[in-house]
Amino acid sequence: MNPLVAPIGLSHYLVVGSILFVCGVLCMATKRNVLGVLMGIELVLNGANLNFIAFGSPMLRADQSNSIGLDGQMIALFVIVLAAAEAAVALAIALNYYHTHATVDVDQANELKG
Amino acid sequence: MDAINWHSFFFLMCALVACTFAIAVVIASNIVRMACYLVISLAAVAGLFFLAGADFLGAAQLMVYVGGTMVLLVFGVMLTARGPFVSMKTGPAQWLVALMAAGALLFVLVQASFSIPAWAGPLASQPQPATLPATAEQLGYGLLGVRADQLDQRDAVARGGLSGYLLPFEIISVHLVVVLVGAAYLARAKRRVTKLSTNTAGSHKP
Amino acid sequence: MNPNSIIPTLLATAWLLPLASFVFIVFFGPRMGRHGQRAATVATAAIIAACLLSFTALGLWLFQHPLGHAAHGDHAAAVAPLAGDWYALGSFGALTISVGYYIDALTIAMFCMVTLVASCIHVYSNGYMHGELHDVIDALAPLSNGEPMRRHGRFCRFFQCLSLFCFSMLGLVIAGNVAMVFVFWELVGICSYLLIGFWRERKSASNAANKAFITNRVGDFGMIIGLMALWASLGTFSFSEIFSQVRPAATEHRLQVPDGMIKLAKQGEVAEIVKRHSGDLDAAQKEIAAQLPDWRAQGYGYGLLMLAGLGIFCGCIGKSAQFPLHVWLPDAMEGPTPVSALIHAATMVAAGVYLVGRFYPVFTPEVLLVIATVGAITLFMAATIALTATDIKRVLAYSTVSQLGFMMLALGIGGWIAGLFHLFTHAFFKSLLFLCSGSVIHACGTNEMPQMGGLKRRMPITALTMLIGCLAIAGAGIPTVVGLSGFHSKDYIVAQDLSFWSHNPGFGGIFFFVALIGAAMTAFYMFRLWYMTFAGNPRDGYVHHHAHESPPSMTVPLLILSLMAIVAAWNIPFTSIGLDGLLHQAQPLGTAQTVTGQLVNVTMPAEHLAHAHENSLKAEWMAFAVALTGFILSTLFYGARKWNPDEVRRAFSPIYKFLLHKWWFDELYRKVFVQPALRVSDWVAAIDKKGLDVIADGLARLVEWTSRIDDWIDRVFVDDIINRLARWTYSLGISLRVLQTGNIRQYVIWITVGTVALFVLMSMYWDYAIAGI
Repeated sequence: MNPLVAPIGLSHYLVVGSILFVCGVLCMATKRNVLGVLMGIELVLNGANLNFIAFGSPMLRADQSNSIGLDGQMIALFVIVLAAAEAAVALAIALNYYHTHATVDVDQANELKG
Repeated sequence: MDAINWHSFFFLMCALVACTFAIAVVIASNIVRMACYLVISLAAVAGLFFLAGADFLGAAQLMVYVGGTMVLLVFGVMLTARGPFVSMKTGPAQWLVALMAAGALLFVLVQASFSIPAWAGPLASQPQPATLPATAEQLGYGLLGVRADQLDQRDAVARGGLSGYLLPFEIISVHLVVVLVGAAYLARAKRRVTKLSTNTAGSHKP
Repeated sequence: MNPNSIIPTLLATAWLLPLASFVFIVFFGPRMGRHGQRAATVATAAIIAACLLSFTALGLWLFQHPLGHAAHGDHAAAVAPLAGDWYALGSFGALTISVGYYIDALTIAMFCMVTLVASCIHVYSNGYMHGELHDVIDALAPLSNGEPMRRHGRFCRFFQCLSLFCFSMLGLVIAGNVAMVFVFWELVGICSYLLIGFWRERKSASNAANKAFITNRVGDFGMIIGLMALWASLGTFSFSEIFSQVRPAATEHRLQVPDGMIKLAKQGEVAEIVKRHSGDLDAAQKEIAAQLPDWRAQGYGYGLLMLAGLGIFCGCIGKSAQFPLHVWLPDAMEGPTPVSALIHAATMVAAGVYLVGRFYPVFTPEVLLVIATVGAITLFMAATIALTATDIKRVLAYSTVSQLGFMMLALGIGGWIAGLFHLFTHAFFKSLLFLCSGSVIHACGTNEMPQMGGLKRRMPITALTMLIGCLAIAGAGIPTVVGLSGFHSKDYIVAQDLSFWSHNPGFGGIFFFVALIGAAMTAFYMFRLWYMTFAGNPRDGYVHHHAHESPPSMTVPLLILSLMAIVAAWNIPFTSIGLDGLLHQAQPLGTAQTVTGQLVNVTMPAEHLAHAHENSLKAEWMAFAVALTGFILSTLFYGARKWNPDEVRRAFSPIYKFLLHKWWFDELYRKVFVQPALRVSDWVAAIDKKGLDVIADGLARLVEWTSRIDDWIDRVFVDDIINRLARWTYSLGISLRVLQTGNIRQYVIWITVGTVALFVLMSMYWDYAIAGI
């Protein structure tokens, strides 16, 4: 099947979303820099957002009536807003952490361990 | 030879860029480069939004994420990117574990994506609109409490649950104000508490 | 002359030639040349002649029964096996014990494989064992005064045992009834005992020989039970009669419980019917025959059939070193390396897999599920142990155990051809790998891989042939184009796994993933072995300096075997003659159908379903991908040295220790079996020695025990419960504390793992209803 000719479906969007999501998880799991972890979170949120948009789009699936319609875009909009807020707060925390510990290595931030 | 489906073509292009640069973010060890790759990946995702018919969301993504959040992030990078923190390596054992867990997750997700036949794509017989309606207006009505796309909903029970998003919108806006004030408070310039920092630095185990 | 009478004669001659060589060497060995040097010539000539005879028989067979174009499905025109008796040893009532033969394509193929591999090993041993040609000073077997032991060389004795070994194995393969199989089965065990303990003065060698022999007895115990179940119900040992009763032609060779087993299960009612007819046996027979279909439908006798199958498989567990009786095989490395090669490739462990294949018509789906489970456990466990072993021969030993697990797994999920195909290809590359390791040990004088390294330049032929062996066992190849022998056989197994999964959604996936993970680990540890031995810089200057390439008598067999390791799975060019087609022809009647279990809900898919184009393509790419993953990881760790294995070792130190101690099996068996047995024997000895004293002793001990029990009750019930509660609470707190590491990245990984687990759990109940469609 030639991907350039066949129509693109919901599944393809979902696969792109999962790849972004998994990249984000990997980023969170392997970066020691606190900003790297933040970037991982942004990637995860984007992967999820892509899924919402794709589910909301009626033209990507065989059963149009089951599309969630405008709700998908609405939720995605809220996610973007909350992500912006999250980035601002997380960055403020990161800066504070950097000021007090003189490092941005998350491995050093284990004072709350049991 | 059939005609090239331009929607598919642009989708593949944007998806390729988004995925490639997302992977590049994971692989790169330099924090500045990671930020650049992330910008490109997010911009490509905005392209995907446009392709899925979400014009307003795509624009918001470009402005808020690529414009706003990334500037914020780059600021953070510039404030903290010095000497030893620019690149910090992780051991192979952790890479191995992370790759195994992430691989399993990817397998599960991709398998689920293809598990519903109806998701594979629109039927050939299905009419495809030549132009898509602009969604900004509909979203605006939705935030004010009117679901413009569901006005012809006949089902009385379903109508009850379709009152729009006025309350969440209000909550989000208050939340945003609180967060921005809080962030500004947290990140404000202050004198470094030298005593605390030397104490904690000394107690770290290598 | 009629080929039907020539083929048994040819094979019988091939079978008896090693026996003749054995007898000859027993009587004249020490007088043949200096230290019996000519004995090697006799034994080698005998086995090579046997090899030629076997290939002649193969040619005749192919001439008479040309291979069809891989007839898929149940082949209607199956080739009838040649079966018959040479000599009846005696009859006891209905039971006749005879020396007979049962020859089909599988028998002949086994003959060719065994004799070819054994010939190579004989030639190789000429070079390897030359140290035994003169008096030996064995530093590893100190005398009581601490000096090394001095003894005569045992060159001719070695070849005498090798001949006997080949004779036993060939007898097992050609045997026409189960009793004969059992006799040769035990003979193989004896030979392995003699050869593993060849350097019997060494404590470790004699222990290993004992361990191999005793562990095999455990399995044989089960086998005897299986034999009794078969004979008591069917009244015959002959293969052809058993198969015709279990899978009668009248029911299109479907598995059914034979009449004898039903009658045995319904013994009481049968006796009553006979009594009712008071002596009129014919009428009684008639009434019983009328009742049989009812009883069969109610499932009587099915348990007996399963018991027979499980019993036979018990024997195979012991011989083929399956979990939990695998412990003897790694210790068997104490024998000389050619013996290890023979045991691992052609004779001993192949016998178990061969018997499972031979007895396949008798196994019910439930028994097959047990076989598959045992195979899967073995495969996974042995592969993990091989990851950490540093002794070059032990790595190979565990890889054998793992590959045997692969075969059992394949057989157990309905892949008769897949399992036996792997048996044949494995025989070639594993004997190659062992002979190569022997060449390395011969050159270096040590088994430890950390002392080797950089031998590539010193021993180019060995390095090259070993590389071929590693590639073959890892399953190297280009999907859909061409591959080494291991690539094809592993691909068959994975394809069958996939097919099994699609027929048994849910648990079927476990077998599939175990096989894939096992294949990845195989590639990893084999290339780890190669890199540590041949690549990099020499780690021990002394060893490296003294290493040298082996003499031609050792390298020529290596080259022959490496050629076989490459081409064993290919058809002869421009024809359709090949191992694959031969096994297709040999597949027992009725076993190529899809069957479902009566007691357990399991479906064994027919083998030809696995060869459907889409399925086999998927399997080929998956097998290729995991093997490549293993290879890349191994290269990163040991070849390119990008990653440091020590770091991983430290990070997973509990797992590493667990694997290094071989899952603590030896320690467990020592605690559970060996020590109690030793204690019991100590008691018996004490009773013998002390006679009457033992009563007083016993009384005293009784008192001591009572007081001990009393003490125990005191401690447990009076104060210990409270102490223990407190300790539990405390240790629970301590152990939960470990989870809170404060490490963000670890939390992320746990979240991911949890998500995947939830998703997998959910997907068991997943259907379209949840998706809203």
